[in-house]
Amino acid sequence: MDRIKGFIGQLQEFYILSFHGLMGILRRPFYAQDMVEQMNYAGSGSLFVVLLISLFIGMALSLQLSAELSRLGLKMYTGKVVGISIIREIGPVLIAVVFAGRVGSGMASELGSMVLGHQVDTLRVFGVDPVKKLVTPRILSAVAMLPVLTVIGDAVALFGAYYIAVFVSHQSGTFFWSSIRDILTYENVLAGSIKPFIFGYLISCISCYMGLSTKGGAVGLRRTTTKAVVISFIAIIVADFIMTRVLLYILGFTL
Amino acid sequence: MIEFDRVSFSYGNRLVLNELSFSVHEDERTAILGGSGDGKTTILKLIVGLLRPDSGRILIHGEDIAEKAEEGLRDIRIKFSIVFQEGALFDSLSVKENVAFPLREYTGMTEEEIDQKVRELLRRVGLEEAIGHMPEELSGGMHRRVAIMRSMAAFEPKMFLYDEPTTGLDPVSADVICKLILDLSERGRGYIIVTHKVFDAFRLANRFMFLKGGRIVFDGDRQALLGSTIPEIRIFLRELNLNQNQ
Repeated sequence: MDRIKGFIGQLQEFYILSFHGLMGILRRPFYAQDMVEQMNYAGSGSLFVVLLISLFIGMALSLQLSAELSRLGLKMYTGKVVGISIIREIGPVLIAVVFAGRVGSGMASELGSMVLGHQVDTLRVFGVDPVKKLVTPRILSAVAMLPVLTVIGDAVALFGAYYIAVFVSHQSGTFFWSSIRDILTYENVLAGSIKPFIFGYLISCISCYMGLSTKGGAVGLRRTTTKAVVISFIAIIVADFIMTRVLLYILGFTL
Repeated sequence: MIEFDRVSFSYGNRLVLNELSFSVHEDERTAILGGSGDGKTTILKLIVGLLRPDSGRILIHGEDIAEKAEEGLRDIRIKFSIVFQEGALFDSLSVKENVAFPLREYTGMTEEEIDQKVRELLRRVGLEEAIGHMPEELSGGMHRRVAIMRSMAAFEPKMFLYDEPTTGLDPVSADVICKLILDLSERGRGYIIVTHKVFDAFRLANRFMFLKGGRIVFDGDRQALLGSTIPEIRIFLRELNLNQNQ
């Protein structure tokens, strides 16, 4: 019974932190410099990893689909299938997972070490709201940077897929890009571009909550960092399924 | 005046303070002694409202802070200057930015005035040279000197609260910190020092409390402490004998 109560209590604290963290953008003071620093860390800091992973995922996906579609005599549809997979599903989810692993774990461990080192208490003593100073800039940076990284990652993954389709699978480059142009419809772009905003919010809220609830020294810090990443992964996958279901319904796709 | 009136506090199921009652005047030099995990730091955090008691009242100048909202605690907190264990400097800020932090939050000083004030404070503790350093480049003693100056940068506190100010320092650095603590209290400002280093406590305080099992089992002056027959206090006093023999 105590465990259930504890879990409900944590859930309540998480909702309150997520709400206040987001509402912080409407209240003074605005910590613009902290926000820029966080955006730099989350955005430019993650760019190289995102580029690398997206390129290879795009190439691997193109290889798999070219091989499979060749057997069915449908090789020319590689661009279309790869494009839809990347833009609607794989791009947003994969880049969110990379973001949670790199940026989310960083947020949790940084805030956790600030808690353990009494830096968060010091902020409160100085009359500074830790949620406003620490959580709001991180939420905003994640919500702003993850969609940007997703767009860049999608583009690079498509380029990787194009390279394999044209130079390995010997398909027409013009046809590949015209297939991609065909699938860049309002529905597909919307389905792929809403997700990163939600994923960014979830990752930053989970990571900040975990970091700020750190207890118990180095072992506690390890535990909360691991929890932040694992829970973020689960949240991404579950939220992706729910959003996909809802978006398909709203956009009028029939199953 | 700080008054604890039957204050209890627990972390989860672990009761740390059990109906604790005591009072301390602002001009007193008090040392709270006790073992690790006995709730010494918890007392300091309760005084400035960083933690809320499970039950009981905490009166600061007769005002109960236990029920106050976070915004209302700001006026209470500026009366105290609290220095946490190991200094708690912000890792991401330089020494200058650390000391300037409360000045930016609390005052409307210009950048030039802030720079001047920070230099003046750091000069006082012989650290003006370290103004551009990051906290990771400082020794433990330097950390604490910067933290002490930061804690009193923006306002004149009525009382200092020190959490293990000399723990983990070599004797020379500990001596510098003790002299600084005594120097800052020259103007009649008292302090509460929480420590398990009885040698430093003897040097700094004239009133001693000993915490055990969530209660104060001893409250008295130096002579009374030396004559105490409480086994835990006798163990603590061994450190004093060792230092004297050396």
